[in-house]
Amino acid sequence: MIKVKQLDYSYHIGKKGNQTSIPVIKKVSFEVKKGEIVAIVGRSGSGKSTLLNLLSGYISPDSGTIEIFEQNTDGYTEKEWAKFRLDHFGFIFQSYELIPSLTAFENIELPLILKGMKRGERQQSVEAMLKRIGLDQHGFHYPNELSGGQQQRVSIGRALITNPTIILADEPTGSLDSETEQGILDLLQELNEKEGITFLMITHDMEVAKVADRTLALHDGEMEERGVYYETK
Amino acid sequence: MFIMKLNDQFQMVKKNMKKNKLRVFMTVLATTMGCAFLIVLASIGFGLQGSIMEQMTEYQSITEIRVHGKDIDGEFHPLTKEDVESINTIEDVTGVVTQDYVPGVVVTNLNEFEGYSQMLLRNLDSAETTNFSLSEGRYPEKTNEIIVGYDFKETLYEPIGDNELEEGETGNNFSGDLLNETILVQIKDYESESILYEKEFVIVGIGKESARDWLNDGSIYANIDLKEEIFTVMDEPKERLEIYDNVSVHVMDIQQNERVTKELKEMNFAVYSITEEIDRLNIFFAAFKAGLIFVGAVAVIIASIGIFNTMTMAVTERTHEIGVMKALGANPLNIRQMFLMESAFIGVIGSFFGVLISYIVSFAANIIIPLILESVTESTEIDIVFSAIPIELVLIAVAISVGVAMLSGFRPAAKATSINVLTALRREA
Ligand SMILES: Nc1ncnc2c1ncn2[C@@H]1O[C@H](COP(=O)(O)OP(=O)(O)OP(=O)(O)O)[C@@H](O)[C@H]1O
Ligand SMILES: [Mg+2]
Repeated sequence: MIKVKQLDYSYHIGKKGNQTSIPVIKKVSFEVKKGEIVAIVGRSGSGKSTLLNLLSGYISPDSGTIEIFEQNTDGYTEKEWAKFRLDHFGFIFQSYELIPSLTAFENIELPLILKGMKRGERQQSVEAMLKRIGLDQHGFHYPNELSGGQQQRVSIGRALITNPTIILADEPTGSLDSETEQGILDLLQELNEKEGITFLMITHDMEVAKVADRTLALHDGEMEERGVYYETK
Repeated sequence: MFIMKLNDQFQMVKKNMKKNKLRVFMTVLATTMGCAFLIVLASIGFGLQGSIMEQMTEYQSITEIRVHGKDIDGEFHPLTKEDVESINTIEDVTGVVTQDYVPGVVVTNLNEFEGYSQMLLRNLDSAETTNFSLSEGRYPEKTNEIIVGYDFKETLYEPIGDNELEEGETGNNFSGDLLNETILVQIKDYESESILYEKEFVIVGIGKESARDWLNDGSIYANIDLKEEIFTVMDEPKERLEIYDNVSVHVMDIQQNERVTKELKEMNFAVYSITEEIDRLNIFFAAFKAGLIFVGAVAVIIASIGIFNTMTMAVTERTHEIGVMKALGANPLNIRQMFLMESAFIGVIGSFFGVLISYIVSFAANIIIPLILESVTESTEIDIVFSAIPIELVLIAVAISVGVAMLSGFRPAAKATSINVLTALRREA
């Protein structure tokens, strides 16, 4: 489903003419198959988020290829990436990234609005989604009226509402207590088992890594050889 | 599917505008003032043009073209029968009226009343198609039937015996109904005062009252068929029978007037038509109005700085929100559209109130300015429209306001579209 080959990426810092480039992703290759839960682990600053940003199309690699659904994303325009994301990806962010001026309902509805779905059709699927994430009583709450776990549930709802084929998650439980974290993990596992949704998620946490089918370890921008395909189950 | 429904875009824009009511209000207010200033300023051009046009057309009808003569090889010739016939064949000409003044002193007698008048010989059969309309009666059919001007009645006096009238003193006016009365018309020689011609006429029609109160028409209009008879006894030169003193061509409207005037000139006729005057005036006012609109547009442009500022702030404020939407896969086009929509709204709402206010200001100015002028100049009544707002001015002003508003939203919209997802989400590096 996702095939990454020889990926390189460097950040450039400093003013023009006096730039230094910091290589962050170095010759990274890996694969994610349909229906898998894959965890990316590694120390802080090892390049995990950068890797996910490359896969999301937020930044483009200096070299190497990213193939998603056998499609080479090389040379995708911003607009093509946007359409690709909206059609196939669901995103769960560490800090939820809900829009504060929208209710839980509206936040979940947002991707459908962006897709151009009719209001009537949206109504039903958002209501069903609220039920599924256990927030059917909280549809009219604004993000600041919800707990961290509830907010993360809303963001999961938003990620799932478009029926994505793959969900990219950057530390989905990073700022939650362990009990809430377990609830979220159970939900994700259930989605994976029942609907065959593929997960690619970054985590610090060995508890989270445990639910993964496979774990990829990043070390200073390199896929650690022994870490690749390191089985946890 | 990758394009937001227009209604959803609209709802989002509405929501965003409501979020910062005061700022949006101030920006709309600036646009309103700019637009109102533009309209009110330009309305002076439109108003004065209308007033001057009206005054001009008071002197001459826009459906009449006066033909003085014909230019043949640089020489001026009066109009002949053939000329009139050829003019009559021009497309859109509804009628050609020829007039000849009867030389000599024309005395009219109705019972004991007597008066001095002017007698015109005219082709009354084509009067229906000219602007010579009657207030009463009909057009003459026989040569002993005539039409009199609306004010003819006032030329008839009852003589006061043999006593000479003192200066400024008059006898009693005729006060009865003129229609179907028989009058005796005598034409006397200027010098000898001997009666050269005498005929009884029946008054079958009375002309319409002139729209201009300073213009009196006490003439009598007789059929042109009498021309030969009268001119012969008056001992006028033979060639006068072949030419006309006065020829006017009649058309239906100003467009026809313009076209027929042009054609007459091509045929070498010496023409006076109001359309030429109007053309010159229109060119002047076109330049004048364009100047006023230009100055007014400066106010709109100043207001647009506010819009630019508001939109830039809106983009900055909403950076995170835009970042999220882009991260999820929003079409960059939709994001641009929504910001352009917002600035266009400010323009639309601003110009709506601008138009409203300028109508009020214009209405008030047309009442107040004449009052002030009347008291300052101590004149009786000033009947001039100073400010007029025709629909085209409204359209121009709205187009400028909305256009400028959208233009000033362009950069902020582009800025919003190019927001970097990662920077906007403030994700930890
Ligand atoms: N915008 C940036 N400009 C310059 N350098 C950056 C930028 N973002 C990240 N980096 C550098 O790239 C490296 C990898 O960062 P990245 O965010 O991918 O790490 P991470 O593995 O996600 O860390 P964490 O677990 O703390 O989230 C770091 O050394 C960081 O300093
Ligand atoms: Mg990270």
